[in-house]
Amino acid sequence: MATYVARRLIQAVVVLLAVSLICFCIFRYLGDPVISMAGLYATFQEREEVRRVFGLDKPTYVQYGLFVWNAAHGNFGKSFVSRVPALPLILERFPATFELATCAVCIAFVVGVGLGVLVSLRPYSAKSRLIMAASLGGISIPTFLTGILLIMVFSVMVGILPSYGRGNTIQLGFWRTGLLTLDGIKHLILPACTLASYQLAVLLRLTRAGMREVLAEEYIKTAWAKGLPPRKVIFKHALRNVMIPVVTITGLQFGELLAFSIVTETIYQWPGMGNLLLTSIYENDQPVIVTYIMLASLIIITLNTIVDILYAILNPKIRYD
Amino acid sequence: MKKLLFLLLFGLLTVALVGYTMAAAPTSIIVAQDDSPAMMNPYGDDSDANLQYMANFFDGLVQRKGADGTLAPALAEKWERVDALTWKFYLRKNVKFHNGNPFTAEDVKFSFERTANPEVSQFVNFGKSLESVQVVDDYTVVVKTKTPIPWFVNNMHQLFIMDKESTEKRDAGDVMVKPIGTGAYKLEEWVKGSYVKMVANEDYWEGAPLIKKVEIRPISESSTRFAALASGQVDMLTGVPLELYDQVVADKKLEVVTRPARRSIFLVMGSKPGSPLADVRVRKAMYMAINEDEIIEKLMRGHAKPAAQIPDPPTVGYNGELKRLPYDPEGAKKLLKEAGYEKGFTVTLTGPTDRYIMDKQICEAAAKYLAKVGIEVKLDLKPKAIFFPEVGQGKLEMYLLGWFDGTYDMGRTYAKLVHSRDLDKGYGELNGAFFSDAGIDKVIESTATMLDLKERTKTLQQLNKTAMVDQIYCIPLHYQVDIYALQKAKAINFKPRPDRWMVYKEISFAK
Repeated sequence: MATYVARRLIQAVVVLLAVSLICFCIFRYLGDPVISMAGLYATFQEREEVRRVFGLDKPTYVQYGLFVWNAAHGNFGKSFVSRVPALPLILERFPATFELATCAVCIAFVVGVGLGVLVSLRPYSAKSRLIMAASLGGISIPTFLTGILLIMVFSVMVGILPSYGRGNTIQLGFWRTGLLTLDGIKHLILPACTLASYQLAVLLRLTRAGMREVLAEEYIKTAWAKGLPPRKVIFKHALRNVMIPVVTITGLQFGELLAFSIVTETIYQWPGMGNLLLTSIYENDQPVIVTYIMLASLIIITLNTIVDILYAILNPKIRYD
Repeated sequence: MKKLLFLLLFGLLTVALVGYTMAAAPTSIIVAQDDSPAMMNPYGDDSDANLQYMANFFDGLVQRKGADGTLAPALAEKWERVDALTWKFYLRKNVKFHNGNPFTAEDVKFSFERTANPEVSQFVNFGKSLESVQVVDDYTVVVKTKTPIPWFVNNMHQLFIMDKESTEKRDAGDVMVKPIGTGAYKLEEWVKGSYVKMVANEDYWEGAPLIKKVEIRPISESSTRFAALASGQVDMLTGVPLELYDQVVADKKLEVVTRPARRSIFLVMGSKPGSPLADVRVRKAMYMAINEDEIIEKLMRGHAKPAAQIPDPPTVGYNGELKRLPYDPEGAKKLLKEAGYEKGFTVTLTGPTDRYIMDKQICEAAAKYLAKVGIEVKLDLKPKAIFFPEVGQGKLEMYLLGWFDGTYDMGRTYAKLVHSRDLDKGYGELNGAFFSDAGIDKVIESTATMLDLKERTKTLQQLNKTAMVDQIYCIPLHYQVDIYALQKAKAINFKPRPDRWMVYKEISFAK
């Protein structure tokens, strides 16, 4: 196990280097940031001075080398737009994204698995068919449409839920949370549901498929025959065996939600990392974009590794050597 | 005894009632704005998006007031031009910064010198144009420029004064997020991406502002912004999207305020030797081929005013005599034939997709109109972050641009946009398609030191005519219209500014 973790760590470093290198190459085609940094009316000489001050006159490989060296020391450079260090700028937004993604995953997991079990018990009832049809919608309707529809219905027409932002938040140390106020929770409902809609449908279908397979197994029939209460048969004997793939997918998706909840965050103007990334792309704020992408890679690599390790714990048959 | 108790109760009730009605009179406002602040350092971002926030926390030596944008004293009570290079400012006394520090000439010197530091400033051009800033006494400052700058004071409303003591003392990161100015509002809290909360500065030198608490929620996504207003979560909205205009008007709870914007939209054509566009007849034909009335009616849904030139009426250099060339595709074809391009040619039209109202659609429409007279247009549409650097590098053939000049003087704009590219002399840095005309260059250079307003106005008007009518530097399209929406019930007394800044000391409640 220790060798496995070590190998994963080395892989992670290589991936991060590759990601940063690709980012740097792409930026060469993204246009010159100096022109906006020097101000609209700057002369050519003034622009060149700005270029020198920010070290953008150096050849790309020197800039890249400097970036890697500084990044290794935890310094990811300053945002071109807001002129403050990029990493804190992104981390400041982390709590918002984390709370949103966590809630979305919880909703998706509880509702998805719950409905999946329900549907698998009576696969041919009208209710089950309706749920399955709706889940198809959840997979195929794009997030931005779900978001706009939810806003239209619940904010504009019915008027019970706010349409944007985080509402009242409370600062706990470095963490700004919206989970401790009623207003904050109200603001969380719509974006979390939007973000969860796809994941929910996936988990639902996965659970249903697994359950249907397991429910037909001999040992389930034995369990029924023993006269065990349905609760025990379904949850203890059947569902438990379905959980491994479901947990894996949930874990992997959590990483994606953390890193790429961009569309949902933009529609609801959620002050999270995805929203910041989109603004930074529009403004060609290269240090923030690179830092973000590296951070996102790190999150996904970490979660994948954790899922792999959990897998080994859940299923002792699996060995990593 | 009973009577006394009754009286006491009655008295208490009255007090409570009065107190209640007083509390009910609105003193706070929540506004959804279409752009968010990038930082709280007044020099670090020279876009109007950021400056408009700064205008609430800081004051300049002068200010632009209200709906007309008249130049008015602010931290300087008066000023005079000593000679072509020297300006003398007499500062206002008894003004205090938000932290209690008194405002003096040292702060002006410190602030102006800070603008030259590229690490914290996008006003490098201003900072570098100063020869010296001299403190005569606590309330007098003499500023010398390296060359005569005709519009020097005109633009000073964008240069806010910072507190020397606290800015030097705090670390750079803190200065970027906590503004300490003399302005009408103090920053209460800024949660990036969520809101900016401001409270009235009760000691403001112009008198305390009427609205005591302002909460600005920047919402860049236009449909979300509209939903916030329609669902009653905010009192006011800036930047109503054209596609939602009809819905805002149809909503009985909402009131719509529009005003012609200063910004004009135009298509710049280069005149590189060898290119078909080098022939002025071709440029004229392209002008005549564009059906601007249809663009305004169909794309802008009526919310634009046709433009015959780049500057808007209050700008020095605006020429009221100029008229748009009429839409005449047949005439255009004839001109093209005359110029030897009967079979047409191919041109690349570049434009931003996220900068101006309907920018992308306007480019697409222009391509269709030009196709009708035989000119094949290759569209090259891209985000502003990529587009503007290309303008700066002079890589383009023809492009869509929007402009207005904060100085209310066309001289600076023309030197940047129309003068031939001459980077050593500091001309034509934003002349993106190598337009060049020796006659125009000469006039622009002559106006650089022309200080007399009458002469300057005449020369710039003439220059404008040459560039628009004789040389056809660009196809002027239209002036944009700014659209705001308000909750009627709140009875907000709001008059939009020409520069689109939201300056909250100028807003009040009618009731």
